[in-house]
Amino acid sequence: MKEFVLYTGCTAPVRLPQYEASVKVVLDKLGVKIVDMKGANCCGAQYVESVNRHAFAAMSGRILALAETYDRDILAICGACSGSLKWIKHSLDNDWKLKDEVNRILADEGLEYTGKIQVKHLLQVFHEDIGYDAIKEAIVKPYSAVRLAAHYGCHVTRPYDIVRVDDPENPTIIDHLIEIAGATAVDYTGKTRCCGGPMLAMDQEVATKIGMDKIRNIRAENVDGIVTACVFCDIQLTQVQFGEGAQDESRIPVLTLPQFLGPALGIEPSRLGIGYNKISPSRVFASVVEV
Amino acid sequence: MMSEPEHGPEKDVEYHPNSRFSQEIAAEPGGEYIRKCIQCGLCTASCMVANYTDKYRPRRIIQKILLGEREQVLASELPWLCMTCRLCEERCQEGVSLAEIFHVVRDIAAREGRVPKVFKDTVNQVLKDGWLLKDAFSDFIQDDRTDLGLNPEVNFDGEFVKKVKKRYFEQGDKEEVKDE
Repeated sequence: MKEFVLYTGCTAPVRLPQYEASVKVVLDKLGVKIVDMKGANCCGAQYVESVNRHAFAAMSGRILALAETYDRDILAICGACSGSLKWIKHSLDNDWKLKDEVNRILADEGLEYTGKIQVKHLLQVFHEDIGYDAIKEAIVKPYSAVRLAAHYGCHVTRPYDIVRVDDPENPTIIDHLIEIAGATAVDYTGKTRCCGGPMLAMDQEVATKIGMDKIRNIRAENVDGIVTACVFCDIQLTQVQFGEGAQDESRIPVLTLPQFLGPALGIEPSRLGIGYNKISPSRVFASVVEV
Repeated sequence: MMSEPEHGPEKDVEYHPNSRFSQEIAAEPGGEYIRKCIQCGLCTASCMVANYTDKYRPRRIIQKILLGEREQVLASELPWLCMTCRLCEERCQEGVSLAEIFHVVRDIAAREGRVPKVFKDTVNQVLKDGWLLKDAFSDFIQDDRTDLGLNPEVNFDGEFVKKVKKRYFEQGDKEEVKDE
């Protein structure tokens, strides 16, 4: 079975460790072997990316070169990281001057980017490496009568020419997995719109309005939970529900894709870090396990 | 019968951008397609930021670039408000990538020392620690990680960024971008 080196990015290990844990437990259950990347650095997304193209290429380039020392493709679980790594890989593979520049700064450590490894987001591993059929066969406790809304994450699916994950206008991987696990995937207005997370730095008020716009659209479809595949989206869609104006409405549980799949695969919720979710997803799991 | 209004060659209309700013952007990777913009406004119509704040209109920023308003664009915080969600780019019929164009604008602004404080502070933090959340990584987080069956240590490298900082950022402090 396929092996990957996991690049967690900066945020998951600190702010969403239950995502990191559930990725490992669920992929192990589905026969995918994961090793941790050691001695990595920030990929440079958004901040370094905005102020210096070469520095951004060096930071993401180093992560790509580190993966080459493991001789494994990268598994990225965060939209920002997967987007950055794929973008820089594309740039390095098409711009030899940039590649030379990056390799010059990597040479001190004995690292070199040659381009031999690929970068995959978690959704691709489920879709391309494990496959829907194998996941379907592994479901032992299917959900019943649970309605879920998928949120994909902008940097997971766009730009398609670079990231090549799913249809950017009508993504379906999470929806398929929701259905395979026996639950109902619910469509909603503005499914491919941003969660507002990238706006937090410049204008928190606008960021929250954008996040709540999505929550309202999802709430209108009467769902039991939101399933995510990006660290920042998960945190943002959770946090906005604790802001002003959100108090009077019942909060919608937000859970990461492997946390959703786990119980249906027969994995104990405690191993998926369900207790760490700020909005308890117990109503999602009621049909499969006692939480 | 009414006569048609005269259009024909607009001999009275002269179009002179104030600077070569759009050419400057087109010369950078990511900025190549800016002059394909037909100012249709699909970007602003798609934009969730524009939906929630009147100050941000991506079409107008592109228009200002095309008109050569270099100083006005570089001194503004507006190019830094793009979330790079690329919804507009997915819909643009002319293949213009606003996220990339705004990255080029930011890059040029940064070379001239005009970076919003929050970007500057975050870049400085990353270039000091090697990763974003060293300050937030506590004993409590380590306990949580152990409880979740994860390695309590996160094992990030703090040395490489020193080389990155030296090579690309040793230019000292400069002015910040002003709010609009």
